[in-house]
Amino acid sequence: MEQLVVSPSPHLHARANTASIMRDVLIALSPAVVVSLVFYGWSELLLLGVCVLSCLLTEALIEKYLMKAPVTIADGSAAVTAVLLALNLPAGCPWWVAVIGSVFAIGVVKMTFGGLGQNIFNPAIAARVFLLVSFPSQMTAWARPASIASAWSLSPVDAVSGATPLGVVSEGLRAGLPLDQIFAENGFSYAQMLLVNLGGSAGELSAVALLAGFVYLLARKVIKPTTTLSIWLTILGVSGIFYLYNPSAYTDPVFNLLTGGVLLGSIFMATDYVTSPMSRTGCIIFGFGIGLQTMLIRYFGAYPEGMSFAILLMNAFVPLINRYCHQPKYGRA
Amino acid sequence: MDNKFTFRIGGVHPADRKLSRDCAIEVLPLPEKVSVSMAQHLGAPAKPVVAPGDRVKTGQVIAEPAGFVSAFVHSPVTGTVTAVASKADLAGKMVMHIDIDVEKDEWAEGIDLTPELVTPLPDDKQLILDRIKAAGVVGLGGATFPTHIKLCPPPGKTAEYLIINGAECEPYLTSDYRMMLERPREILIGAALMQKVLGGPKCIAAVEDNKPEAVESLKDALHFLQLFSKDYENIEIRVLKKKYPQGGEKQLIDAVTGRQVKSMGLPIDAGAVVQNVATSFAVYEAVQKKKPLLTNVLSVTGDCLPPERQHNYLFRIGIPLRYIAQVAGGVPEEAVKIVSGGPMMGKAIANLDATTVKGSSSLLYLSAKQTLRREEGPCIRCGKCAQACPMGLEPFLLKKLAEVGDQQALEQNAVQDCLECGCCQYTCPAYLPLLDTIRIAKADVLNLIKSRPKN
Ligand code: SF4
Ligand code: SF4
Repeated sequence: MEQLVVSPSPHLHARANTASIMRDVLIALSPAVVVSLVFYGWSELLLLGVCVLSCLLTEALIEKYLMKAPVTIADGSAAVTAVLLALNLPAGCPWWVAVIGSVFAIGVVKMTFGGLGQNIFNPAIAARVFLLVSFPSQMTAWARPASIASAWSLSPVDAVSGATPLGVVSEGLRAGLPLDQIFAENGFSYAQMLLVNLGGSAGELSAVALLAGFVYLLARKVIKPTTTLSIWLTILGVSGIFYLYNPSAYTDPVFNLLTGGVLLGSIFMATDYVTSPMSRTGCIIFGFGIGLQTMLIRYFGAYPEGMSFAILLMNAFVPLINRYCHQPKYGRA
Repeated sequence: MDNKFTFRIGGVHPADRKLSRDCAIEVLPLPEKVSVSMAQHLGAPAKPVVAPGDRVKTGQVIAEPAGFVSAFVHSPVTGTVTAVASKADLAGKMVMHIDIDVEKDEWAEGIDLTPELVTPLPDDKQLILDRIKAAGVVGLGGATFPTHIKLCPPPGKTAEYLIINGAECEPYLTSDYRMMLERPREILIGAALMQKVLGGPKCIAAVEDNKPEAVESLKDALHFLQLFSKDYENIEIRVLKKKYPQGGEKQLIDAVTGRQVKSMGLPIDAGAVVQNVATSFAVYEAVQKKKPLLTNVLSVTGDCLPPERQHNYLFRIGIPLRYIAQVAGGVPEEAVKIVSGGPMMGKAIANLDATTVKGSSSLLYLSAKQTLRREEGPCIRCGKCAQACPMGLEPFLLKKLAEVGDQQALEQNAVQDCLECGCCQYTCPAYLPLLDTIRIAKADVLNLIKSRPKN
């Protein structure tokens, strides 16, 4: 008698799996990575390499020696965390900051909760906030090569350094300058923010590169647009109201959308499966919460940006949101 | 603008793979022995009325209904009964079978074997119902519920819609498709007969948009029939946007009428009766030709088979699966699993010596690469299982609740509504065996619900 495999239905499986989804996220991140490498050169490559190496190593060592479990770095989730963290670090940030961030992201935020799928907070975001609080000066200043040529030259070169646009603006506002003057003095323009916004973290470099990733994720059905759009609309709405109320004291909606890691955060971090709600309603609420807090922190808080704090805080609410928000069930309306 | 309908909640899009779609229906030659199962329908197994040594004719009753929900079974061949005994079905479960040695093919009296199409419908509703019951017609779309019962709504309920299910949403299967191409007139006459019994509800034959030829074929047939009689005025052919599991009764009702069947309810609660196209054909033969349900169409298909070895067979019910596999050229090397039914909801065959039943629709060969389960990972909370669930359930949650055995929470989260359609498990990127767990939990919760005193 022949040996037939017998197992319950379904007998087929869709093509996507955890590793292929993580691969898709990495592909979606690649335009942003490429742009950052082109403009920031060796120093960015170093940060990226350090993050990837320390994230994978941390996960592998913990699984092998502490958890005595199979090593799962091949699923790609640690690599995603590593790239996201690298994109969240300011250009020219010291390598040891990247190491500390990676070890914290994987070792503390992810693995202590039990690894992939168990963590409450997004590892990259939590690490960024941790670094921001622990090393404020290293995390808010950037230093970049003066030109693309010098970025890739082998001899040491001059660097340009400064603060992020949001930092500059909130600094200026605090000094009592009107907004248009701050914009003009620093040469800020929307076109520049959209295409290549030099300075700041690698992930803030090019809005277009991040949006390309967003389109890819949607096309591959890796994520739904709900959370991201909810964040954008809330940020546009809240800053719109304040801007209309007093355009010289409050930054305008488009500026807020394009700076301070809003795109990186809303496309890649707030949509992290593990740390975002399951249902559509849940995602709308989650996105609204992130957008609202981001704007409140920016306008009234001590930090110029706010996106990471907002995501982190809303991460904590996800279990609660999941408890009360469910998708509609068939025949139970 | 896309104005095609589909069901509103969940669903997945597995690749079609209708490899045998262009293979015309062939009549499968008779084997030397057949074995007829008594459990070919939902409900109580039929009670044999023949004994070893009896001679039977094709179409003669060999087993009677053993309860309200049960059905007649007829001999598919002419010959001598050799055994009435328990035998393993395709899953290895012991079921009463009647074995018959085939001698010739002589049909019982009163059955119309001519190929002529009989269009006039009988006027007497009871006569129609009686013939459907006498012919042992059961739903051929999967559930094999006795058709005559489904056509008698309980008191106080009326059918406003009769939906003829031509969705055939499972990948690979092509038997319904071939029937719609080759027997569209009979299918529509069957539909009109059922429409008559139900008191003239609106009849909609629903076909997915991946089968435009079937839609054309039904439309032509409808046009043709409408030339003859007013009986076919109230029938419509509706094209639906392809999505699995559109052929599920609840999903089809939602897609066609925009209504939903309430939890634990029956389609008739939403004013709908759903019958598969093959059932409709069987009703035609039962009423217009007085021919019992002895045959059905089955696809022999799969990626392991070259195009010339794909088949759609008109088979006599009771023909052993192994015989069909042999006639079709043997089980291909690469096949590690043979499924009876579609790849999403069909049953893996454990015992190829089992026999075909009224509801058999395929021998689907699957290769190791296609079907072997892969190593599961942790749930990444992607929510894809919930988005895929056509009942709007949360499979990741149901699995967790099932693992801790929280029956109360399982019931609150509607595990009893699960269709076992497999969308969740098909989709889960972590390869979690969601439905395996949910299926067991559902059975437990259903038992619990049934054990409660009714008030
Ligand atoms: S098998 Fe059940 S839980 Fe899974 S998708 Fe289908 S109905 Fe939903
Ligand atoms: S599809 Fe699988 S991994 Fe995703 S939430 Fe459901 S159970 Fe978890």
